Order: sequence, then structure tokens, then C-alpha cells
Amino acid sequence: MTQRDPSKYGTQVIKPDDFDIFWGELLERSDKIPLNASLTLDSMRSTEQVEVFEVHYDSLNSLRVFGWYCLPRLRPRPLPARVFYPGYISEPTLPKAHAEQGYATFGAAPRGKLRSNRQFNPGYPGLLTHNLVDRQSYAYQGFYLDAIRVIDFLTEQPEVDSERIGIQGSSQGGALTLVAAALRPQVKAASVGAPYLTGVVDAIDLTRTYPYEEINDYLRLHPQNRDAMVKTWNYYDCINFADRIQCPIIVYIGLQDDVCPPETAYPLMDKIQSPEKKLYAYDGHGHDANHHVHDQVVDTFFDNQLKT
Amino acid sequence: MKPEDFSSYWLQLEQELIRVEPAPECTEIPLRSTPEGKVFGLLLTSLGGYRIFAYYCVPHGKGPFPVIYRLPNYGSVVHIPPFEERCNHISIALCHRGQRLSDEPFAASYPGLLTQGIESPQTYIYREIASDCLRVMDFLLTREEVDHRRISLVGGDLAFWTAAMRPQALTLFYTPSMFYKSLQKASTSSHYPLEEFNDYFRAFPKSRKQVETTLEYFEPMNFAPWVSISTMMMEESEGDGDDLAAAFGREIDRCTTYHSSFRDGVRQAQWIADKLKTGEPLLPEHWS
Repeated sequence: MTQRDPSKYGTQVIKPDDFDIFWGELLERSDKIPLNASLTLDSMRSTEQVEVFEVHYDSLNSLRVFGWYCLPRLRPRPLPARVFYPGYISEPTLPKAHAEQGYATFGAAPRGKLRSNRQFNPGYPGLLTHNLVDRQSYAYQGFYLDAIRVIDFLTEQPEVDSERIGIQGSSQGGALTLVAAALRPQVKAASVGAPYLTGVVDAIDLTRTYPYEEINDYLRLHPQNRDAMVKTWNYYDCINFADRIQCPIIVYIGLQDDVCPPETAYPLMDKIQSPEKKLYAYDGHGHDANHHVHDQVVDTFFDNQLKT
Repeated sequence: MKPEDFSSYWLQLEQELIRVEPAPECTEIPLRSTPEGKVFGLLLTSLGGYRIFAYYCVPHGKGPFPVIYRLPNYGSVVHIPPFEERCNHISIALCHRGQRLSDEPFAASYPGLLTQGIESPQTYIYREIASDCLRVMDFLLTREEVDHRRISLVGGDLAFWTAAMRPQALTLFYTPSMFYKSLQKASTSSHYPLEEFNDYFRAFPKSRKQVETTLEYFEPMNFAPWVSISTMMMEESEGDGDDLAAAFGREIDRCTTYHSSFRDGVRQAQWIADKLKTGEPLLPEHWS
């Protein structure tokens, strides 16, 4: 169906020389902050099979961040875990259904998402361009760190087998999955759908669809800030995290995706270092990336990686 | 089963709404405007004096323009209408009360909104949300730049209710969402948002009868005889919408989702363009 060859597009993303230093210093700052996690049973959302907890933990800049944590009531041994990262406009997942299948599950809600937006709320649209010209205060700095601290939370839980943590998400959830897999080597397996925040400087030329269109809106009003925007994004682009990813990973895309253009997934795949990586490119699909069918592939992938 | 006072329930809402001055306030958002058209933030007063927000996008050039009115899905965020659509339509996207930009003083919980006030049809939050949807339609009908004969509604059950109560629209592209056979579907699902109903019954086991009664006022099958405009219904699977289609008492267009945002999006754009007589639709480059 597709007539373009998105694999030939390439990328304008450049990795800054001090990329590793930048993230090393941020991780050092973040790692010094105790999680101070609190868990509160949500009896209304719990069932006979699954306990649901509201979790809050501390993160960068003294923000308190929320997440849904679900545990099967029957747990004779430490559990494998799955983390669900949210899309840009979607609500955090309350992953009860997967907990029923024998996983400890966590639905992340990084800063700005509902229940994590009391102290930081740039809005939607808004998040993508919040302090866009300053890598030291750009919105995604804290957002990324909130996401990776979920792994830290899980490794602290006695009911979780910290050797068997899988992470997943689509669109922005895919981006957070890539970043967490890169910065937390404890991650055992990762699944990424229609990755967002990947090849951003390419994507804004390839699409007029939101959320990327937020950057085009911004540059129309502030054309003089283009270089600063590109400079910031080189520190946040998932392509530049990819060479740190060592765990088994699957990526699925739609070849007619107008939201996260498929062209941006190929440079990402080239850079991922994991010896076990696979790209599923679905012709005839847009930003859905054929998840209706592919969800089963993801479940099987995690069952194989985490339950055996 | 359709409540005996179904018509009077909704008539009462209309009578309450008509007494509320809409007080429209339209302010350009320069950050979102493009060389092809302007984007405005629209504020309107709805039921209970609640101020609601919508993105109101008007192309440059000489109107009146055909309209695509996008009713919101379940979730806190509403996107600005697609760029391609904004180039040659007036495009409007409502944020109903509780959603971001319409979340003061009431910010909806997700999960939570679906069962808020559900113990009675008079207190159910979706009664007021329905009024928000109607309010925007009424605004459109006051505008000189709008071609009043070419308004298309797009969305789920909120679009369906609006079509039922505002026959001035020309077309409806409808995807049944949470209110079609809601409790029957919830009983076989543990996924949100339908799981909210199951959560509610676990917490309030004696409430089932009350909830069933409330939901009958919002069941699309009970609205179907009121929907007189040209309708396309996109179903989850073949035959899923048979009972709803039968409730129309007339033929409507039907299709089954491809489970592809690309193929479903192209089909929707082409169907609407055909009905609004706007020629080949402008589509995202990756869809061409």
C-alpha cells in the first residue's frame, strides 16, 4: 500500500558530545532523592482477583508523582512485573487486566498527567514546548526521570522479582519505554509501539498532526528559536538513547502513521544495541500501529521473557 | 427499556438550557493560528452557569464554510482539530465540563467520571455534559461564517445525542462508544472505562437497579428514532450494531472498523466530504 520507502529517509538528529555527561549528572541528582513511596489501597478499584493501590513517590524538583499499582491477590512467589507508560494525551493505564494474568503491574503517570499535575501542569497542548529552548529546564527532563523512577519503585517491592521487569507503551509511552530501557539496565524486556519523541527534528518536517504540530506552532511564532529547539531536542531524542539499550526489545509501527512518522523508527532501530531486537512494520496502519492484532504479540513476548 | 418520561426528561433539559445566556467569548490563539486559518478559544456558558471551552477554527477566505463539529471522547485531553481539516472547514472541538480547559471548577476523574452522580438521571454528570454538546451546536447556528446547511457531527455517543436533539446538522459520523448496551458490555469486560461500572457495583451492590434506570436515559437505542439526519455508523465488529441500527426504523449507512486509524480516517474524511459536497478531502501526507 505504501509507495514511499521510510527506511531510506535517514535523520538529522545529532548526538551531543556531552549527552552522556548531561544524563549522568541528572541521574546522579535523581538517584539521591529518596522515593518516599506511599501505597494506599483503592478498595473501589480492587477486585476479588486484584488489589489496586494508588502510589505516590518523590521525583526531581520535589514533585510528588502518581501511579497505579496492581497486584494479583494470589502471589506465592515474587512476581514478574510490567510497567505501562502513557501516551501523550491518554490517561494513565489502570492495568488490572494484566495483573489478573499473574503480573505486578504499574500504570505510570509522569508529572503533568492527571493526579500528578498539582505542582506542574503545562497542559495539552503545552507539555511538548514547555521551556523548549532550555535543556536544563525542559519539561521532558522531569517527565523522563519520573518514568524511570517507576523501575526504582518496583525493585524496592518485596513481592516483585527485580530480575523480571518488563516495560511497554505506545506513542509517548513508547518513548518513555525507550528512555527507561536505556537508563535502567535492570529492565529485562521492552515493547515499543509507534515511538514518539524519536527523530523529532525530522518529524516536524514530515507531519502537520498534533502533538508534533505543537513545535511547528511554536516555531511559527518564534522562528528565531529554531536552533535552540534543535539543540535542546538532541539531548532528549530517543534515537540518542538507543545505543544504551541492551535488553530484548520489539518495536511496531504503522507505515501510514501521520502522528509519529514511520521514517523516524528506522534510525532508531539502527542505533539500538540489543542483540535481540525486532521491528514489525505494518502496512495499511496509522498511529494505531495495528495494536488490535499486535497486542497478542506483545503479551506473548513478555510471557516468554518474564515468565519462563 | 425506554423510560416513559424519556422525552420529557430531555425536554426539561432543553428548557433549562434555553434560560442560560450563552455569553460567547471568542479569543484568537495566535500560537495555534496558521497562514491557512485562525484558531480561537471559544468560551460559552452552559447548564448550571458552567463556562465551557472549545477550539473554534475558521479558515481564511470568504465564507460561509461547511463545519465539522468534533464531539469529545472519554479522557481529559481534547486535541486541536486536524490541520488538514482546518484548511477548508470551520472545525470545532468541544472540551466538555471536567475535561482540560473546561476543568474549573470541576476537574473530572479518570476513572470516575463515568459513574459520577449515576444514582439518579437528574444528578448524572452526563446530563450536564449533553447540555455542553448542545450549547456548541446552538452557537454554530448563530454564526454568519457558518454554512448552516452543512454541519457534520463526528464522534461517539455524545455526537449521537447531539444529532438526536439538533436535527439542524446535516450528517453524523458515529462510532458507538460507552453508552450502547453499556452494562451488558461491562459484564464481559475488565477494561476501562467500562470497568468503572463494575467497580461501582462492587462498591454499591444495591445500586444496580438505579444505575440501569439512569443509563436508559442515555442509551443510544432510545435516541435512535430522533436521529433523522444522514448517518454513518462505524461498528466494532460486524453485526455489533444490529440492534441499534434496527432502532432507527430506517436505513442508515453502516461499516465495520478496519482497526486502522489510517483506513478508518480516510473513510471518514471521504464520507463527510461526499455529504458536505466539499470535493476530495485534504488528508495527511502519510495517508495519501
